Amino acid sequence: MVTRLFFLHALGASAREWDRVIEELEDVGECVALDLPGFGGSADADLDVAGLVDWLAGQVAARQPQNWAVVGHSMGGKVATLAAARARDGDPAFAGLAAVVLLAASPPAPEPMAEERRAEMIGWFDDGHISADEAATFVDANTATPLPEPLRSQATGDVERSGRLAWKGWLERGSREDWQRAAGTLSVPALIVAGSEDGDLGEQAQRRLNLPHYRDARVEVVAGAAHLLPYEQPAAVAALIREHVLPAFGRALPAPFAALLASDRVSRRTRAVIMERHAAPPPGNVLSPEQRAVLAALVETVLPGGADPVDLAGRIDAMLTSGIGDGWRSADLPADAEAWTSGLDTLDRLAGGFADQTSADRDQLLHAVNDASRSADGAMFDAGQMRLWFAEARAEIARQWMALPATMARIGYDGFAVGGDGPRKQGYRRTAADTIEDWQTLETPS
Amino acid sequence: MSGAADTVDVVIVGSGAGGAPLAARLAKAGLSVVVLEAGRAFRPDDHVPDELAADIYWMEERLSGGTDATAFGANNSGMGVGGSTLHWGAFCPRPDPRDLRLRSESGQGEDWPIAHDELIAYVDAVERVIGVSGPELYPWDQARRYELPPVARNAPADAMARGCAALGIAATDAPAALVSRDRVQPHWGERRACINCGTCHQGCRTGAKATTDTSWLPLAVAHGAEVRSECRVVDIERDGSGRVTGVVYVRHGERRRQACRALFLCAGGVETPRLLLNLDLANSSGQVGRNFMAHVATQVWGRFDADMRMNRGYPSSLITEDLMRAAGVDHAGGYLIQSLGVMPVTLATNLARGAGLWGQALVDLLDDYNRLGGIGINGECLPSDDNRLTLADETDAFGLRKARIDFSYGPNERAIDGHARRTMTAIWEAAGARDIFAVDRSAHTIGTCRMGSDGDRAVVDADGRSFDIDNLFICDNSVFPSALAANPALTIMALSLRTADRFLATRG
Repeated sequence: MVTRLFFLHALGASAREWDRVIEELEDVGECVALDLPGFGGSADADLDVAGLVDWLAGQVAARQPQNWAVVGHSMGGKVATLAAARARDGDPAFAGLAAVVLLAASPPAPEPMAEERRAEMIGWFDDGHISADEAATFVDANTATPLPEPLRSQATGDVERSGRLAWKGWLERGSREDWQRAAGTLSVPALIVAGSEDGDLGEQAQRRLNLPHYRDARVEVVAGAAHLLPYEQPAAVAALIREHVLPAFGRALPAPFAALLASDRVSRRTRAVIMERHAAPPPGNVLSPEQRAVLAALVETVLPGGADPVDLAGRIDAMLTSGIGDGWRSADLPADAEAWTSGLDTLDRLAGGFADQTSADRDQLLHAVNDASRSADGAMFDAGQMRLWFAEARAEIARQWMALPATMARIGYDGFAVGGDGPRKQGYRRTAADTIEDWQTLETPS
Repeated sequence: MSGAADTVDVVIVGSGAGGAPLAARLAKAGLSVVVLEAGRAFRPDDHVPDELAADIYWMEERLSGGTDATAFGANNSGMGVGGSTLHWGAFCPRPDPRDLRLRSESGQGEDWPIAHDELIAYVDAVERVIGVSGPELYPWDQARRYELPPVARNAPADAMARGCAALGIAATDAPAALVSRDRVQPHWGERRACINCGTCHQGCRTGAKATTDTSWLPLAVAHGAEVRSECRVVDIERDGSGRVTGVVYVRHGERRRQACRALFLCAGGVETPRLLLNLDLANSSGQVGRNFMAHVATQVWGRFDADMRMNRGYPSSLITEDLMRAAGVDHAGGYLIQSLGVMPVTLATNLARGAGLWGQALVDLLDDYNRLGGIGINGECLPSDDNRLTLADETDAFGLRKARIDFSYGPNERAIDGHARRTMTAIWEAAGARDIFAVDRSAHTIGTCRMGSDGDRAVVDADGRSFDIDNLFICDNSVFPSALAANPALTIMALSLRTADRFLATRG
């Protein structure tokens, strides 16, 4: 499994701003700190936001990670979020994105910035280059306390060597572009970090402008830092990244599956739906915590050793919350949401605490339910309804589990990879038993 | 309310197998035709080979009752320009002459008011338009020829061929309404040869499979018909004498009207009767919604030592018609057997629900997906007074009451189910399958507005014309007097052409 973290720096900085963060993360994955075009001594370029995302696509695709995270600081944060949006939409260049970390990130919306300050910073290039004094003003204004040497000189040096096109392009255009609609809602897990002393891009701005784009996100505030977090608090930043990225990497699909999913045998739309389903489900609000616990125990009994019970219970709650079912229901049961809450409550009552039973006892009870031979006084459902609901419940549990990409990988299913977006779809050339094609190598060698 | 002031000759509700062929034929004859389709329009490339993401099914809720409650949604109900042909399996055996005369033959079921020869002439015309792949010689009909060679057999088909051969059962490549070679479809373009991707039920991405949006509808449009997508018909307007004058439909929240001289309801065996019952129309016989039929669609599964990967290839690539009238049986009618290629999610749902499995047994089977193989039947279902579609008290988003369908097997369906289980188990044992088990399942939505010669016992006559309203027609699987063992779509398309011809011949 090729696991990588890509780091995108802030305006006027360079890949060097990550040096002390990366030191702490080398065991998490290969850390790739990039110089954005026009910074860190790279060739100057006049790129809008779409151009920056395209540039990142090239950088990522060239390194072909199967499992990767993007860490974006300030200006780099806007690029990171829009890369995540393209991953969501099935862009093969960004396939395998497992986590996003934003540090004092510029949002998809126009970045809040006083026009006076914007004009001042643009004006620094009036004489052709940013002076040492101007660079020092910039760095000092963005740190809670002045950086120690030699870091301060390194930071100011990077500001001074910023390319004119890149610097002005961001301030005049990139930071003002409105990408909220394209960013939409993202399911990739996100960590959103703000410096406690930051101004325009502090915690409030992060909550208001970045958080709404992420369905599965948390916000952390780092004390003793303003805007230049990787310089100011590298250890704290690294610890947060580690804590966020490791579990996300742990959920990665197996490498051969991830590679097939990223290949030209898979359409963008197919890739998008599979990755979306691999992410955590949106929050549901039909089931109570108690009902969720009973459902998790039911999942464990219906699919022992198969599904992650808590995850699947969450998916079913999300399905119930969305109101989108499978097109029909038993005429003897109420609408889905009520049927599931009543069914779970009745099951719990029949068991006298279903979640606390041994798996053998649960299984025995389910057999009785399936024979319509168990009922309880005062329960929501009678024995006949419980039999019908249990048929519906186990079918839905099996349906949700089987549809998960992790399950496809587990059983060696590659039927999603039968045609990309090209004019000729690939399909299968071999259909007979005991013959497979070279690309069908999903199963991990045992 | 807004609407076209112009009165068109014909409005057709539904763009699937029932509505599209007649749209083409009527437009070609010079009539002005508007097709109203509830779902949206797709390009083949829009389809997605994923069972949950495929969005070509009618997913609005229906209530299902009875001891053998049938599944709807992705199981049998389509939505989109193309209707159920978007997701159909393209398995297209022809209707058996004996099935159209079932009552005369067995004293059970119903006879069709149309002669088999006449129907087959239309079937032939349909096959020539849509392009059917099949065997060079069809063992049960020596004269039959198919335009295109058969598609590749998959692993379950090879297993079924093995098992059938061992038992002396004839089996051959199934007739499939898809093109095994690139083929130009007039007014649409080149339909690419089937690529064996196995995702017929999620929507064909190459145009290989015959769907009405790549065949009949482009033909209709070429002759001036208009196909309006995302139009949900919610009302039918009539004059003082009760004749239809137009329809009211909702498009993107706006109510619109389309005036017409004749109306064809082609919305399928659930939505057609549901609309009529909601509007209390064309039901002086009391037959609307009655005699709902679903094919007995029992499956038998087993594990093989070989790596089967049944999702590859055209799913139903082998057929036998040997059981259409088996000797010494205690049931009327018969059944077809086909090999199966079932996608994982559908399989998991069927194993959990239809085979009553859970626990380690279920997990072990699903883990063995690549080694499973199945065969299934499509079996006769007799019309019954107990099986009917009625309206539930709950309403849908348009204020129309939802459909409730009660369905229970009778003795004949149980007998077919039992016979088929024994036959298929024997075939699977002979094929080398282990751990063999059966899955209960029924398929297709048939009946509910049957045709006949007696206005007290049928909703429409043999021409599809309502006995109550002379400019209201029905053409879809709801008019079938009996189920026929053959999968319905080919017969529906044939009826559609016939209904068009009869309309043209008899209109004033």
